[in-house]
Amino acid sequence: MMSPRIVVTGVGVVSPLGIGIDAFAEGLYSGVTAITSSPRFLNSTTAEMGEFNPAPWLGNKGVRVLDRGTRLLTVAAQMALTATGLSQDPAGEGDAELGMVCGTMFGGVHSIASFDWTGLTEGPSYVSPLEFPNTVINAPAGQAAIKLKLRGVNSTVCGGLASGLVAINYAAEFLRFGRARWLMAGGMEEVCDEAALGFNKLGLSSPTCSVRPFSRDADGTAAGEGAALWMLETEESAEQRGAEPWLEICGFGQCNDAKTILGFDARATGAIAAIEQALEDAGTGVGEIACIIAGASGSPTGDAMEARALRHVFGDHLLKVPVSAPKAAFGEVMGASGAFCAVAAGLALQRQAAPPTAGFTSTDSGLLISSAAQAFSGEYALVNAFSCDGNNTALVIRLWKK
Amino acid sequence: MRRVVITGIGVITPIGSGKDVFWKALLAGTSGVSTITSFDSAKYAAHLGGEVRDFDAGQYVKRQNPDGMGRASQMAIGAAGLALQDSGLDLESIPRRRRGVSMGTTSGEPVFVERYNDIKLASGEDAVPAEVFACYPCHVIPTHIAIEFDLGGPSIMIPTACAAGNYAIGYGYDLIRTGRADVMLCGGADAFSRIPYQGFARLGAIAPERCQPFDKNRKGMVPGEGSGMLLLESLDAALGRGAKIYAEILGYGVSCDAHHMTAAHPQGDGAVRAMKSAIKESGLSTDDIDYISAHGTGTPTNDRIESIAVHALFGERAPLVPMSSIKSMLGHTMGAASAIEAAACALALDSGWIPPTINHDEADPDCGLDIVPNTARLTNPKVVLNNSYAFGGNNAAMCLGRYEA
Repeated sequence: MMSPRIVVTGVGVVSPLGIGIDAFAEGLYSGVTAITSSPRFLNSTTAEMGEFNPAPWLGNKGVRVLDRGTRLLTVAAQMALTATGLSQDPAGEGDAELGMVCGTMFGGVHSIASFDWTGLTEGPSYVSPLEFPNTVINAPAGQAAIKLKLRGVNSTVCGGLASGLVAINYAAEFLRFGRARWLMAGGMEEVCDEAALGFNKLGLSSPTCSVRPFSRDADGTAAGEGAALWMLETEESAEQRGAEPWLEICGFGQCNDAKTILGFDARATGAIAAIEQALEDAGTGVGEIACIIAGASGSPTGDAMEARALRHVFGDHLLKVPVSAPKAAFGEVMGASGAFCAVAAGLALQRQAAPPTAGFTSTDSGLLISSAAQAFSGEYALVNAFSCDGNNTALVIRLWKK
Repeated sequence: MRRVVITGIGVITPIGSGKDVFWKALLAGTSGVSTITSFDSAKYAAHLGGEVRDFDAGQYVKRQNPDGMGRASQMAIGAAGLALQDSGLDLESIPRRRRGVSMGTTSGEPVFVERYNDIKLASGEDAVPAEVFACYPCHVIPTHIAIEFDLGGPSIMIPTACAAGNYAIGYGYDLIRTGRADVMLCGGADAFSRIPYQGFARLGAIAPERCQPFDKNRKGMVPGEGSGMLLLESLDAALGRGAKIYAEILGYGVSCDAHHMTAAHPQGDGAVRAMKSAIKESGLSTDDIDYISAHGTGTPTNDRIESIAVHALFGERAPLVPMSSIKSMLGHTMGAASAIEAAACALALDSGWIPPTINHDEADPDCGLDIVPNTARLTNPKVVLNNSYAFGGNNAAMCLGRYEA
């Protein structure tokens, strides 16, 4: 039996680079960065949304109980629904074939810490029972399902910095099994006190407030936030309702270095294996990959590992494939970054141009990178998401072609 | 598609660790619930818990420093090690990239959030050490397992709260079925923590004396902790190495209530759809189900709604299908619950015995099901259904079957 082809028919993006896919694309291709010295957290380099008001997309009713991350996710989901004409009637019961798979790394950690803090400082009888539900890690996806009437598969997945790609693959598998007809898949993360402090304490943030993936002078990354979701369905489902697919999910690979919970494996064996698996799964050779969206985030060890993996897999061909590291623009969005990079790859295929790597100067990595957009001609793109705990993932996508 | 079987079982639970101790205690109707000792319960409106008292992390965590990880990771490694040992599988015989891990949890490693707050309160947040941040995100639990057992294949955490064990085992089943992995260690883990305890206490959901699922006078659930891990492989591989096969995974289904974060849908809509999908994916009908492992937390509403859902789906046959809740003995082990319950299902299929619902005094006419009151029963089930429901309206049900050559 031929496995059904999984296609992308819509997208929802909420990012400091831009809200909505058009604004996000414009921001990404203009070569600017959303990374700044944090307006909210002391001594932090971040890419933040600022005050985010979800009312234009979600109205005012029932929004107050949603924490910040949940608002980002729910708005992105509403956008994806609108883009695909699948918005549910708020008064209706909702579609049992429509669902969501959300990748996240910290989930609602700020809600969790705040709930505990209240109990600690004021006493357990002073915590709000309304806030307790936000302390489970699947709360954002569960809340989004309630708000948007998503009665189908609802899952939250965590694979560290690879969560976004893990979520996309998870959803694609579920669709192939026929467990749902429409699944929004991607990721969400928020920058909160705990994440900002964590990045600083762990020495991950750029002290110079500039994120320069693959650059010789790279000195760290920046925590980013936002939510990005693709609407996925089978080719047959899209055809039946007359929806024009945008992209196809062709292959996925996942391999674990299994060495440490914090640190990239300099030998890049897991990263190499993940890319090779994804190519094999897609049935493509390196010669067909027209563009690479790297997960590089300005972390010298992580970027070096990724460059090594790409050199190993692509060999001489690497000098013909434009590479973009869009985290230079939207930061390390943790559990959502795989999804953001996937969205960037979709845009690249659509525009036949790799997005600029903001602020890029020079590299000795042997990669074709530029601070300007790089034109190419081709159908396939590779997306990498390598997590700092050794969980390596890669995704191959293609411009839709019947 | 390959058939997938369970060939290793490992559990760390409030009624004992290791498959044999656990199963004996379960059939004997042993309670693991008592006044908690993990932290002082004086300031909470509840005092009961299902704690694991016999766990020594150093006994199980060998390749890593047990003090460098949270208790959920420690217990998960313990249960995974027991499952591996039980399977008799030489992991080295499986290519490294073909062995993986799929985990579920409700709270991950909340002890690091607690530590963050404790230090912040005492000395300010600048005093919080870096490792608190590195050890918190829930993906570290499968990563710790991957490191401990050198699993170079897929690794995933599915934190879908109290249904997470079923989700995680289901995903492992998917990976083996499609040939993306050859061996998966799958299950769930949660450690006792003041964060969920405070939440359940504030909701008034915790029982004052004992956990009595489906009893007319049930007064609530009891938070618990533990880990359940299963070793999954393809049927052909298991037969090839002459492994003991406990059970076959036949299929699973997931759904979302999209109704309320903590309260189940009043007609059990999501619960019915999850069970229905699981049975359909397994190529079965409700007539084939010989036993149901209930979600059965012991709260007045949850048990009533689960009963409504079972009646709705099984119709006239509902009272004839034995359905018990082992949470009556263990308390609610959160993300580990449906994984430990899956272990119990596999052992039921293997031994022919089904565990009881203990603490049963009086039947609740609102439930109207055969809950296997107080005493284990020999029924030789061929197919069982494992139910799990969670905050966020996340429901997952799985069918397991006795393997017959």
